[in-house]
Amino acid sequence: MYDLGVKNDKVMLVNADLMGTCRNRKFAEEFPERSFNLGIAEQNMVSFAAGLGHEGFIPYAFSMAPFLTMRACEQCRTDVAYANLSVRLMGTYAGLSGGISGATHWSIEDVAIMAAMPNMTVVEVSDPTQATQIMDQTLEHEGPMYIRSSVEPVFKLYADDYKHTVGKASIARSGDDGAFICSGITVKYAVEAADRLKADFGLEIRVVDMHTIKPVDREAVVSAAKTGSVIIAQDHNVYGGLGSIVATVLAEEGCAAKFKNIGIDDKFVAMAHAPYLYNKFGYDADGLYNSMKAMLGVK
Amino acid sequence: MLKTIDELTQAAREIRKNLLELCSKQVIHIGGDLSVADVMTVLWQYQMKYDPKNTGDEKRDRFVLSKGHASAVTSFNQAAIGCFTKDDVINEYATDEGRFSMHSCNLVNPYVEVSTGSLGHGFPVACGMAAALRQKGNFESRVYVVMGDGEQSEGSVWEAALGAVRYKLGNLVAIVDFNGLEADGKISEVTALGDIAEKYRAFGFNVREFDGNDIAQIKENFDSLPPADSEVPTVFICRTTKGKGVEFMENQPRWHAGKITQEQLAECIRALDGKE
Repeated sequence: MYDLGVKNDKVMLVNADLMGTCRNRKFAEEFPERSFNLGIAEQNMVSFAAGLGHEGFIPYAFSMAPFLTMRACEQCRTDVAYANLSVRLMGTYAGLSGGISGATHWSIEDVAIMAAMPNMTVVEVSDPTQATQIMDQTLEHEGPMYIRSSVEPVFKLYADDYKHTVGKASIARSGDDGAFICSGITVKYAVEAADRLKADFGLEIRVVDMHTIKPVDREAVVSAAKTGSVIIAQDHNVYGGLGSIVATVLAEEGCAAKFKNIGIDDKFVAMAHAPYLYNKFGYDADGLYNSMKAMLGVK
Repeated sequence: MLKTIDELTQAAREIRKNLLELCSKQVIHIGGDLSVADVMTVLWQYQMKYDPKNTGDEKRDRFVLSKGHASAVTSFNQAAIGCFTKDDVINEYATDEGRFSMHSCNLVNPYVEVSTGSLGHGFPVACGMAAALRQKGNFESRVYVVMGDGEQSEGSVWEAALGAVRYKLGNLVAIVDFNGLEADGKISEVTALGDIAEKYRAFGFNVREFDGNDIAQIKENFDSLPPADSEVPTVFICRTTKGKGVEFMENQPRWHAGKITQEQLAECIRALDGKE
């Protein structure tokens, strides 16, 4: 955030008492005049950010994803999306990454909620270089964006010179024997699964990193479908997330492929560490490895 | 721009006639439009720095209608200062491709700074705008935001009140149209709103409480606002009468929204003119 503040003096920071959790304290310290902390009042935070947006600023409003997208849902929709303002809604604790905090702090519906808002671009990043490049693009992007991230936000998956562009999927692994389409934390697991499938069976499995969930990269989806075997994985409820969006594209484009949508299986469960939960719902590296192996019928 | 109390009184009467004419054609939120008509007339036709020919002027005052259902009274005041004509409002109101409807929408009406309708949104948005003006070095413009009294039940109103004081938004003027009635009945029976002036005072606002249907009092309170570069936000608690100016509507919950007949219209206009 601090770097964005240096690059562009229209950047404003808006917090709701989670500056530490959201890791933006440096901006607040360096640019106190461009930083607002509205206290534990997410609705006010989002509306206030909209007010800044009306006056031509680019506010970045931070909270945990469930509070941002559900407590302040109507503010995101009516004050930000309806007015088509260049407000950046930054939600951490995506999916089950909040782990032992439990369901109150998980965000398993946010993609469905935010993608349903007209004008809203929805993003989830997987890699530090990707995150930096996409954050730079948020300075130029017209209209609102929702950016979700996990508690441990990113893992090194790409070479530093890889160019990531909002609206265009990145390819973390190439291959034509099958494809994973993922976003955020599941990209890392899909890469691990693909590498093991290559080592164990010589399979070349593509990993499509759909960091821009809306608008989805239709070409990348159609191309992935040509491998004949597509597995979607996202740290989100299976309803309304990346899987639903990709499935619509596949149907609309008349693609025929084996298809599996992996995510949270439409249920609330008790608190546990995130890796345990990812394993339980089958979208850690083991789960994705086994699902692709089964889909391809290799033993 | 009007100047005298007589001119403003006459202008408010015209706004009421416009509202009633519209109300004879369409269902509008006539009760709340009438209660806030005097404040809106003084605000739009006297107080606000706003040039319809230069709506992007950085030095303009901003207006946010947090009680979004008072769109008709806003549109007629905008017509009075030349944004469009009164007949535009009457002819286009609630039509499929019109610029005016139950709530105001800036997708079709560029004189609307912020689209509103759902309650408890305009006030916090206005706070963000007020903070933004300061950040831009604009210490001249004010942000005016009009709320309803029933709207004070929304938690986001009080979240915004905390932030407005914390960020010293002396350029913010919140106006509460306290007509004492909300959709389901008397405020005192629906919610335990209590002494709203005392509540805002406790939050740290500069509080003014006066008769919001008395043009002289309204004007005097606008005239004596603290400077826009001051550090304490102001709230006007305007004691008003819902349906003000139309005898059969006054203090009647059923006239929160409605439509009148041509006969009723003629009777209302006669009554209003009789008060000259």
